[in-house]
Amino acid sequence: MGSLDFEGRAVPIEEGDTVASALYRAGVRTFTRSLKHHRRRGPYCMSGDCASCLLTVDDQPGARSCATDARDGMRVKREEGIPSAEVDLLAITDRVRWLMPVGFYSKTFIRPRFTWPLAERVIRSFTGLGHLPVDRMPARKPTRNLRTDVLVIGGGIAGLAAAVAAARDGASVVVCDEGRLGEALAPGPALERIRALGSEVRALSSVTLLERHTAIGVYEGPLVPIVGEEEVVRVDPERVVVATGALERHLAFPGNDLPGVWLGRGAVRMAAVHGVAIGSRAVVVTGTPEAADHVRALRDVGIDVLAIVPEGQAELLPDGVRAAPDAILVAAEGREGVRSVTLETGRGERRVACDALVLSAGRDPRDALLRMADGVEVVGAGDVVWPGCTLDEAVESGTLAGAGSTPVLREPEVAPTPTGGYVCLCEDVTAGELERAWEEGWRSSEILKRYTTATMGPCRGALCGRLLSSFAAAGATAPAAAGRTTARPPGRPVALEDLAAGIHETIEKRTALHERHVEMGGRLDWLGAWKRPLHYGDPLDEYRAVRERVGIMDVGTLGKFLVAGRDAATLLDRVFPCRVDDLTPGRSRYLLALDEAGYLMDDGMLCALDGGRFALTSTSGGADRMEAWLRNWADRLDLHAHIVNRTSMLGAINVAGPRARELLQALGAEGVDAETMPHMSHAEIVVAGVPCHTMRVGFVGEVSFELHHPRSRGVELWDALLQAGAGLGIRPHGLDTLDVLRLEKGHVYLGQDTLPDDHPGKLGLGWAVAMDKPAFVGKVSLERMSSFPLERKLVGLEFEGEPQRGVPLYLGDRVVGRVTSCARSEALGREIGLGWLRAVDGGFPSSLRAGDVPARVVPRPFYDPEGARLRA
Amino acid sequence: MGIKIPCPNCGPREYTEFTFGGELRDLESPDPDADFRRVYLRENVAGVQTERWFHAHGCRRWLTLRRDTVTNRIDGLA
Repeated sequence: MGSLDFEGRAVPIEEGDTVASALYRAGVRTFTRSLKHHRRRGPYCMSGDCASCLLTVDDQPGARSCATDARDGMRVKREEGIPSAEVDLLAITDRVRWLMPVGFYSKTFIRPRFTWPLAERVIRSFTGLGHLPVDRMPARKPTRNLRTDVLVIGGGIAGLAAAVAAARDGASVVVCDEGRLGEALAPGPALERIRALGSEVRALSSVTLLERHTAIGVYEGPLVPIVGEEEVVRVDPERVVVATGALERHLAFPGNDLPGVWLGRGAVRMAAVHGVAIGSRAVVVTGTPEAADHVRALRDVGIDVLAIVPEGQAELLPDGVRAAPDAILVAAEGREGVRSVTLETGRGERRVACDALVLSAGRDPRDALLRMADGVEVVGAGDVVWPGCTLDEAVESGTLAGAGSTPVLREPEVAPTPTGGYVCLCEDVTAGELERAWEEGWRSSEILKRYTTATMGPCRGALCGRLLSSFAAAGATAPAAAGRTTARPPGRPVALEDLAAGIHETIEKRTALHERHVEMGGRLDWLGAWKRPLHYGDPLDEYRAVRERVGIMDVGTLGKFLVAGRDAATLLDRVFPCRVDDLTPGRSRYLLALDEAGYLMDDGMLCALDGGRFALTSTSGGADRMEAWLRNWADRLDLHAHIVNRTSMLGAINVAGPRARELLQALGAEGVDAETMPHMSHAEIVVAGVPCHTMRVGFVGEVSFELHHPRSRGVELWDALLQAGAGLGIRPHGLDTLDVLRLEKGHVYLGQDTLPDDHPGKLGLGWAVAMDKPAFVGKVSLERMSSFPLERKLVGLEFEGEPQRGVPLYLGDRVVGRVTSCARSEALGREIGLGWLRAVDGGFPSSLRAGDVPARVVPRPFYDPEGARLRA
Repeated sequence: MGIKIPCPNCGPREYTEFTFGGELRDLESPDPDADFRRVYLRENVAGVQTERWFHAHGCRRWLTLRRDTVTNRIDGLA
């Protein structure tokens, strides 16, 4: 079977071994050190419930070694302890517990204040349950979605019976189990039933069985995420059956956390499944009908057993077992593990030497998933709802639950009150600490939980939850104060990588010209989901090309829409603030999109096509919102309009500069002369053999044509433009150049120069709003706001120096605004910018300071204010 | 969380396929004051709310449904 590597030592593996059973067989007793007191801990439950056997397996810290299959070549190590878990100097903390009293986070190192950050660093280095590997990314697990009628959590007898019953009713069923069916069970009637039901379930095509898959929570919906070793499955069931069984009851008495103290089923699993004797002399605390089987299983591997039996139950024990009737367990003693236990008998206390203490005293429903599913279609089956039920009852409740009924909950017996030792093993909370917290006034289970952190460790309260409530019940006056604490997901420890599975998938949008940008040395960066070039190495030369010769830019990221249908014009007229009815085919108009509050959402161009159709553009980041916005209004206003989002169907290249027209003509474009195609017109024009919806627009302030073309022909067009433009001094340019070009024209960048509550008037865009239209989205709000004085507006600025974008604008020593854009304008030979300015005493000041730099308010646009170059 | 939205075109789909469009509001108001309330104020009910959803990763249509904001139970299309 091979071997695993345990801290440099080869540990042989046998058939069916978990990491914990293989290590225990090899003599390992101390598996981890406890969180706060650095006490030795070793396997306790063997059912994946507690945190006493956490190890680092293949660099993954916090693996529950009893629920991890041992595999050949696995690397296993203990994380805790300085220098090692075996010899841990930090165990001194167990002796100086007064340094960390209950609630110490709220009490110690508080004054003087500077002590806490220092103390926190020291304390953090003492605590924790392992170290995350920081030098590697874990492999990303795939996720899959699974829809099913019934999800059964737990492949025990009740769960399998539920699956069979549901499948018999024609339902599709998913059964998941943290382990493999029956793997934790000793040979016997229960295992036989599981095997029989298991083969029945496997034979059913409507049942999907997921072994080694852990359900980590039940969320509303219901939605149940299930973590497997290779995948994360999101199950979306109509109904959930929780059949997670019960676990042996954890008891709190002095010494209860020593290695060698076992929960009954855990000890039996070691003996009967893995063939490992947990010791040579064991004391067994019996209290369940199953306990006699535990005693038998332990004796079968040669363990000498002394059974503590409740009154009148001694005859249930197998023959020849020594019994201590009516004795009460007081404490366990030992340094590295249990060496003796103290029993209270009728004749006083008696110490019994032993090397194992087995708790088979009761069963607690493993009901966290059921309890966290408040208001969700979830029922329980088996031990979860009928604690301590027989095998027949398990089948009965499972059959009921699987067939759609709800087995009525039977209250479990109340857990005994803790007498000492560790109530919460994960967080190292002792019974004494609970008492101290109680004395301090924290007098309900929920408050005790928050103050002491009991139930907040990796076991999520599976072991200690009931002890905490029984402790509170012993003192509380109101029943609510003694209830179980709220169960919340996750119900099992979850690795961060499992939580991250399937999300954080970055969508990178690329235009058809992406490869060209890379080849040409473009520096690309994220803009929203798009990767776009900022420049190609020399932004100043790119700028000069547009102003003096010709430049091209990939603007394929722009939102591009076709709006058609009977009511297309009505829709656009009703939604947007510009006039639509007078826009004749072949003409374009600047378009603002306002929300109902009259605030600016987006801007773009509107082109009237023939046949009552319209082409519409939006900003690159606003495309999805624009589509949703238009569809919403078409739906709400009951208008017959088709909205086609062509953003990814079409590429777009902007050709701008004094020689832009010459370039297009060189590529065979017809009808691009100033008379046929003036500013703000558009036409279908073939450029270099590529059909282009060509728009004359003017964001950069030169003669400019936006060529919208089929995406598949983008590279061809780009290459043709560059080739034909070589003699004209053509350059491609990126966003850095565009930023300066548009700033010289005083155009705003939505989002950079604007604020969420900007109406067009504040931006100086009032001209783009036809207030005389009967109705458009935001009109009533604009009318209302028009009666308010303008308290701030966007202004053009000139600087004597180089301010930083974002610096405040000062009037004297008062902050009256902020610079939103600024750049050196080569054409003007000075620093220009845009900024917000607040009204001061009813007027807008004109002489300011931008940080340390003198600034002056000037009219926009800065460059070519008459637009002669634009319209040329 | 797993809310299933009954899309009339696509059938029940996970809510993550949708964009939330907020509570359903009137299209118009009788006067500017009422319009102020319509535009800026929300009912924000703890209970059944009529609201808009856009099936962004599906049929790209809007739908109006009734959802209990406390339990996330969906009470059919409005």
